[in-house]
Formats: sequence, C-alpha cells, structure tokens
Amino acid sequence: GNILFRLKGSLEFKCQLNTTNEPHIQKVISRTFEDLCSQVKSESLVLSVCNSPVFIWPNKGGRATPECLTPNSPCKDLQQFIQQFFMQATTHFYVTCVSFTKLFGSYFSLASFVLLCVFQVVINLNLMTEVTEPADLSATTLMRCSTKHHFLYTAMPMDCVVSLPSSERLSVVYDALVVALCSQLDEMKKVMLRHMKGMTLLIPQPFHFLLPDPVGLVTVVYPAGVPDSQLEIQRKELHSRFELPGNRPYLRRANSLHFPDEPYKDGYLRNPHLHLKPPTLGNGKLYLVQGVYSYHHYMQDRVDDNGWGCAYRSLQTICSWFQQQGYTEKAVPTHKEIQQALVDVGDKQGSFVGSRQWIGSIEVAAVLDQLLGVTSKIMFVSQGSELASKGRELANHFLSEGTPVMIGGGVLAHTILGVAWSETTGEIRYLILDPHYTGAEDLQVITDKGWCGWKSPQFWDQNAYYNLCLPQRPKTI
Amino acid sequence: MGRGYIVENMVEKYLSSLQAPDSTGTSCVTGLLIGQSTSQRDLVALAVRTPQRNTDGQGSPSINRRAWISLDHLDVEWVTEHARQVSRMLPGGLSILGVFLVTVPELSKEAQNILRQLIFAVDKHISKGRLWSLTNEDVTEKVALHICTETRKTVCRTFDIRDPKSSAKPADWKYQLGVCTSWQVLTCSVGLDLLIPVLDMRVLPQDMEKCMKEGLKIWAKQIEVGLCLINGKILADETEIVAGQKKNAKPVQQTFQAQILIPMAEPPSVQTSTVLVKMCSGSLSLKGMVHCRAYLQSNKSRVKDAAKVIKRDIINTVSSRVEMFLEDLLMEGVDNGSVEQVLPRRVFASLPGMTLCVCDYMFPDECLSDVSDRLKELLDWDMPEDSIDTSQEAIIVLRKNIPIKSDMLKSNGLFPSIDTID
Repeated sequence: GNILFRLKGSLEFKCQLNTTNEPHIQKVISRTFEDLCSQVKSESLVLSVCNSPVFIWPNKGGRATPECLTPNSPCKDLQQFIQQFFMQATTHFYVTCVSFTKLFGSYFSLASFVLLCVFQVVINLNLMTEVTEPADLSATTLMRCSTKHHFLYTAMPMDCVVSLPSSERLSVVYDALVVALCSQLDEMKKVMLRHMKGMTLLIPQPFHFLLPDPVGLVTVVYPAGVPDSQLEIQRKELHSRFELPGNRPYLRRANSLHFPDEPYKDGYLRNPHLHLKPPTLGNGKLYLVQGVYSYHHYMQDRVDDNGWGCAYRSLQTICSWFQQQGYTEKAVPTHKEIQQALVDVGDKQGSFVGSRQWIGSIEVAAVLDQLLGVTSKIMFVSQGSELASKGRELANHFLSEGTPVMIGGGVLAHTILGVAWSETTGEIRYLILDPHYTGAEDLQVITDKGWCGWKSPQFWDQNAYYNLCLPQRPKTI
Repeated sequence: MGRGYIVENMVEKYLSSLQAPDSTGTSCVTGLLIGQSTSQRDLVALAVRTPQRNTDGQGSPSINRRAWISLDHLDVEWVTEHARQVSRMLPGGLSILGVFLVTVPELSKEAQNILRQLIFAVDKHISKGRLWSLTNEDVTEKVALHICTETRKTVCRTFDIRDPKSSAKPADWKYQLGVCTSWQVLTCSVGLDLLIPVLDMRVLPQDMEKCMKEGLKIWAKQIEVGLCLINGKILADETEIVAGQKKNAKPVQQTFQAQILIPMAEPPSVQTSTVLVKMCSGSLSLKGMVHCRAYLQSNKSRVKDAAKVIKRDIINTVSSRVEMFLEDLLMEGVDNGSVEQVLPRRVFASLPGMTLCVCDYMFPDECLSDVSDRLKELLDWDMPEDSIDTSQEAIIVLRKNIPIKSDMLKSNGLFPSIDTID
C-alpha cells in the first residue's frame, strides 16, 4: 500500500520595503520566497516525525536519528517508531471504510469518501531547524540600519503531502518532501502576488483535495480572507485542468480532505451510518447519501426541543451536508434562525420566532431556499404503506443528488440517509437517522439502539400521510 | 540538613594566602566562589578575590589605621561589578556560588551581616539582564564563607536568595583533591541570523539597547524551549547522558556534542489573513557563529541537566557580547554609526590542573596580552598567552563567499556590500 507523508510547519516570511511602489514590492516578495526556498534546501533543515523520536536531516544525505533509519531503508520502517495509539486509529478507520467500499461498488466515486480511507497510513512530520548547524562560520557582527522602511512579517503555513509506496526508499521520500516544499513556496508566491493590493498581502493557505481517479490527491493554495464565492475563476481553471464536472463543487475549502488524526472540534458525530452493517436483500443494491453530514438531534446546543424540534434537527442535518460539501459557507442555523427565515419569507408571523411550533417538509424546503439558495423536490404519499413503492424514486435521488431526505408525517419527522432496494423483488429498507435521540454523542449507543439504523417499511405509520423534502444540489462549483 | 560544599584543594591554598589587613590596609578581603550547585552535590572549583580598586587619596597611614576596625571601605558596588564581569567569563554550568570574606578577628561578628548583604547584592546584580529563567530544579542557596585571619577558622553558611528575610543555614565545607578533574563537557556552535526591526517610535542609536534586548529575549525563549540532542540522539529527560555505566565506575571526562532544534517559525497566536506590516525607523541584524561550552560535574548527569547548561551558555554568550559591545560604544562616546561592526570574539583558557575552562571576549583591536591581563585582574590567574585558545571562533567575516545572502542584501537597497574586515 501507499503511505501518505504530510509535512507541516511555519516558515518565517520577513522582508523590508524601502519604497512602496508595486514593482519594488513584487521584486522583494519574490526574493523573499527564493530565500525561503534556500532555507528549505539548507543543511540545517530538520524534519521531525510526530509522535516519535525520529528526526531527519533531508539535506545532509538523509541522516536520521535513530541511526538504523538509513536513506536506503524502506519508508514503512518509520512506522515502528510512531506511538502505537496513533497507528491503530488510522488503520481501524481504513478497515471500516474498505469493507463498505466493497459493498457499494462502483456507485460511489472516491470523492464521496471525503473521510480519508484510501491510505493505510498517514505519517505526520514537522518543520524544524537546527541552530547548531551554522551555514555561516563568520565572526558575529551587528549590522545597524537607520533607513525608514516597512517591515513585513508572517509565518507561512506550509502543508505538503506526498504519497509513496511503503517499499520506497526513505531518500526518495526526503527528496520528494523538499521538492514539495519548494513548489508549494512557488505556488504561494504566485497567489500572494496575484491578490496583492499595495501593501495588503494575503497569506496563502494550502488545502488538500482527494479528487476522483485518476487525479487523486492535489493541493491547492488559496488566499486567506477571500471567500469561496470570490474564487470561482480559480476553481474554473482547476476544474478544467483536472477535467472535473462543471456542476458540482470539488475544490471549495469545505471539500478539503479531512485527515483522520484531526478530530472535528465541534463535537458532532459525522456519518454514523458508516458503522452499521447494511441489510442484504436478494438482488438488492445500496443507494446512500454521498459525502459528509453531521448528526443533529434533540437537546443539542443547550436547546431543549424535546417533543417539538425533530423537523428542525433534520433540517440542521441537511444544512450540515450542504456546508460540508462546499455549497455554503454559512453555519448550520439555530432553531431561532430557522424560524426567522420563515418569517422573512412571509410564511409565518413574527410571533413564530421563539415558539415551540412544529414545522413540516414544506417549511424545511422554504428555509433551505431562503438561507442556502437550495431548491427541493417535494414527494407526497397519502398513506405510509405507499412508501414501500417509492424505492426507484428514492434510489434515483440518492444516485443523482445524494442529499439527505427529510420526511415528515403523522407526528414525527425523520431523516432518510439511503435505501437498500431490489429492483427485481421490490424489497426495500430505509436508512434512518432519528432526530428524537436525547442522549450524548455516543456512537455505540446511537448505532446499537437504532437511532441511526436500517428500518423496514413497517417503520412508517401505514395510515398517515407523509411529505418528503428532497433537496437538490445547486449546479455550481 | 544543610548543604555540603566539596571544595577543590587548590582553593584552600588560595584562601590561606589571603591576609587581612592587606597591603592597602583594608581590613577584609572579599571574593567570589565559583563552581556548580546541583540537588545532588555542591562543588566549588575556584575562589577569586575582588581585585584592588585604584582609589585616589587614600595613602595616609592614619586613615588606614582607623580602617582596621571598620568595614566602611567595603565597596559593595565594586564587589558586585567584579561578580558580573566574572560571571561573563564562566561557560555554562559554572556560576558564582557565593561570596567569601576574610577578616580580622575583631570584625567576625559583623561578618555575617556583611556576607548577607553581599550575597543578595551580587545575585541581584548578576541576574540583571539575564535572558533565561530559573527553574524549580535550580539551587537557590548561595554560600557565605567567613575566614578569620588569626584562627583560620572557617564558618560556612548558606542564604536562600529567593527570600531576603530568611536566616542563614549552616553548611559543610570540605576540601578534596581532584574535584574538577573529570567533569563532562558539552559543546556546540550556534549560527545566528536575527533580524530585529526597530519600530517607528524608536530611534537608532539611542534605543539600540532596548531593541536588542527585546529581540534577543524572543530568540532566547526559542532556545530555552528547543529540543536538545546529545551526541546525535534524542533521549528522555531523565536518561543519564553517560550510558551503560558500571556501578561505582571511575568517572572519566567525556565531551558531548549538543544539537538544538527549534521550529522554523512560530505559528501566529492569532490567525490573521494578511501579512503584518510595521513602519520601522531602522533595523538591527545579528549574524555569525558563536562557540558554546558547558560543564556538568557528575557522570550521573541527566539529559535535562545537560540541555539546561548548554542552552544557558548559548543565551549568555550572545547576550554578554552584545552587552559588552554596547558598553564599549557608550564608553567610547563616539559612535560613528557605521553599518557593520564585529562583536567581541570568544576565547578560552584552561584552568591548570582542571578540565574546566574559563572564557573571555576579545575585541577586534585587542591582542592576547589584553586577555592575559584581564584574566590576571579578574580571576587572579597567571595565564601564559600561548595557552589561550583562540581557535574556536573566526576573526573575519566570510560572508562575501556566500552569494545568495550578499545579493539579497544588496537588492534590498538598504545595506552596502559587505567587505571582509581585517
């Protein structure tokens, strides 16, 4: 298998401008980046392997400590030095995802698995410098300058990834990482120059994307502070270069690769359904939500919506999907924000905000439109028993849109994350995410007790009527 | 349980040679005690008397007679200044452990008060301008030794410098042969490349000292928290640096190479989206290579002790020579404001019969006899010129040979081209 090497760290970007005219600024910035590139190629560069006692001098013939790691050793030898806990976490994740890939087959592109599951191992490295490796052996001098000037300073956030077979020699890995650093510096220089306005220089930030085969892993540098909405031209260029479809986002910041060792800080569970064993139906296939969503349910965010908030929570789950697939930069709305949106479109009176009134699929569709510019298809069944015959429509929805579906009927609202459906027998099962859960973010409980689980058609109230909201992906990059 | 000081035999000889009243008639002799104090042992390697001050108008014998029974002429400021200059001459691991006082019997009673005064004054003075911080593991007790000229009786006490109100604690003072023959040595060479911007409200050269200090403080912090490798290996803090020793093995002096690793840059504490821009009235740039050395008394020393002493030496040698340079500039009075000046160069001199060295700093216009004179004056040692090691640091600026750096400086339009300084 391959090993993914990820090298992160900051490089000191500092320069002095004695005039403020643009050509001078550009020249100095270019020189400064060239200088950083020399630093990266110097003998004092040291790479430290995170969670291990390993240090590497890539520009000193690949010298390393511990000494048994020679430049000719296969790079998989690094693994034995990395603290076991971290290795196990990554491997386990891989195993879980691979087994589902086998079941899903070709219906799902690699892009669906934004969660990193292709690589067996991610080895993290940090940039360091050895102060006791002086490049300049001169006597120490103090240089004074009394000219007025502008001093520019920032820490350049380097983040390179290199993927190589685990049998590849370490010397090849070191060279690849140094080359990756230099080419990232070059990219960063271009981005900084492209977006500069006088002396306002935006910090270039790297993002990694796992694009569908044959492209694979790419790193794109975007200027900080410029929202995705203003970077459409850049994305168009990249879509064309990588031959990506022009109607769905692949390269928005939210689409960037989420490494398994970087836990989500917001505390919500992501894609709990991946931990379930799907049902096997005769000639049945699985049609599931594409990409990443967060599980929203009762009692979260210190809001006690037990008994009335289920549709709001389903809507939050759907919004989280649009945010994480890069369709919006807006945060998942609160109950009040949802209610305000309905007031703003004229659907409800002002007193609605702060109330505990239920909402249905129509309201969910209205809010998605108002807050995110997302249109939805509404499906209506007059009786719950009819849902069993909606296999084809739901399957098609998950194939083409792949968005979570909100279903409301009787007195309950749920989220449908997918179906297992047999075209020949008509058998169907529904993958349900239940917003009525009131407990903590405990994956074990949620999957064991069926708060996220596969349900049969009997799950639905056979006599009640149901409305389904099927959100449509906007055709945009 | 008091501290127990184990003292090099030669110190006894030296102290017994000191007489009070001395040739100038002062009724006491003060001096410094130098060595290393750890939680395991306190070793004293060297004793150095405070040099005579050239005071005018003190020739009359009648005045000297009166000086017999008073300590009025004790110049605390002079003692502390001597201490400060001596501490600059001590490589890492060696420090001023305390003060000694040789007096006539009549002054024995006052001696304790004087010693207390001196201990706290010396400590205060030498810790000014220190760029590293004491840790919990540092020994904060200093030794106060009193010797009576008649009885040659020694009274040894310690004071805790953290608590000026604390009372003295008794301590042991024992002479031993070969205390300093097998200390461990750590060495490294550190490359400096600091650019310190001088913000708009400051002006060179007046604010040079302040700017340098601030810039050096940041750099010193990076060194303090940096990773330390000993002989190319990274080891746990509590590991002994001398591996695989037999119990009760005879200690042998070993030299260890230290390496210090720091992050290339610190990520910003507050995420910004734009590059920071500051208006500056100038800048200071410190470049070159310094040679660093530190000593550890015990063959049981741990990695964290080794890291601590070498890092402190790195920080001290840079801040000392910058301080000396600025003092010199102040003294000269004339600042030709020239662009690039060479800082004093570090040289080493081995103490006879010991594995320990002291160091000194040579200005570009000085020669070996100046160093030798200083060693005699400040450390009371006769050091032959040929035993002064000047090979560790370069005299000249070689930078012209490195094309990238010179080009960069030229194109910035701020600095003229660098010439080698003969």
